[in-house]
Amino acid sequence: MSDPLKVILKIAASGLEAQSARMRVVSENLANAQSTGKTPGADPYTRKVVSFETEVDEATNANLVKVENVDLHRSPYRIEHDPSNPAADANGYVKLPNVNMLVEMADMREANRSYEANLQVMKQAREMITMTIDLMRSS
Amino acid sequence: MGPIHLFDVASRVNHWLTVRQSTIAQNVANANTPGFKSQDVKPFASTLEAMSLAMSSSRPEHMTHTPAADARTELNADESGEMLHSGNTVNLEMEMSKAGEVNRAYALNTSTLKAFHRMLMTSSKV
Repeated sequence: MSDPLKVILKIAASGLEAQSARMRVVSENLANAQSTGKTPGADPYTRKVVSFETEVDEATNANLVKVENVDLHRSPYRIEHDPSNPAADANGYVKLPNVNMLVEMADMREANRSYEANLQVMKQAREMITMTIDLMRSS
Repeated sequence: MGPIHLFDVASRVNHWLTVRQSTIAQNVANANTPGFKSQDVKPFASTLEAMSLAMSSSRPEHMTHTPAADARTELNADESGEMLHSGNTVNLEMEMSKAGEVNRAYALNTSTLKAFHRMLMTSSKV
């Protein structure tokens, strides 16, 4: 029988990992918000999205979370008329990434919030472990 | 006067609380997983009743402590939360308040246990 307190630490750690992976993808999207293609008419950077799924840990029967996949977002690219741009096609149109700053910021906030919640759970579990150990201390 | 099962009950409450806390941890970790349903454990009173019924045995060697003891705290789908568009029913604020509640209950329980232990030690000292 595995100790639930240890399981909590494992679950919270999986949550932290998933949320930090999400944060990483958000930062990639933000950093590449202006990255055009290399050759004329080429596709620019495509926005990435993470999807989570529940994974049952066989040893402890706990519902962990993991990043299922990092997919490319399928919304259309922004198109601007800028004939002098190296990535402009024959008609002078440049394809810009389909990254929306506002959406990325909202996603970042949500990831941050979930990360904090997982951290809080971990803290509480650690306090409970300390309380249990303190039972052995002679006061 | 019947035997006092104080330490037994206290340790069971503590175990129940840790299982509840790990359920809360699962909910929080899966707060952004599509289709995940929020879970909770059965109240302690009902698990205690089920436990005392299950413990009746004719021979002492029948009383084995199996890993199935974990199963006494069944996970119920929690209906209180509303469902998001992604099919997720976890409410982070509620989970955090539940985690705090469990932590406080655990603190209370361990302190009580400590006080009783101190009493026993005092009476056994010369």
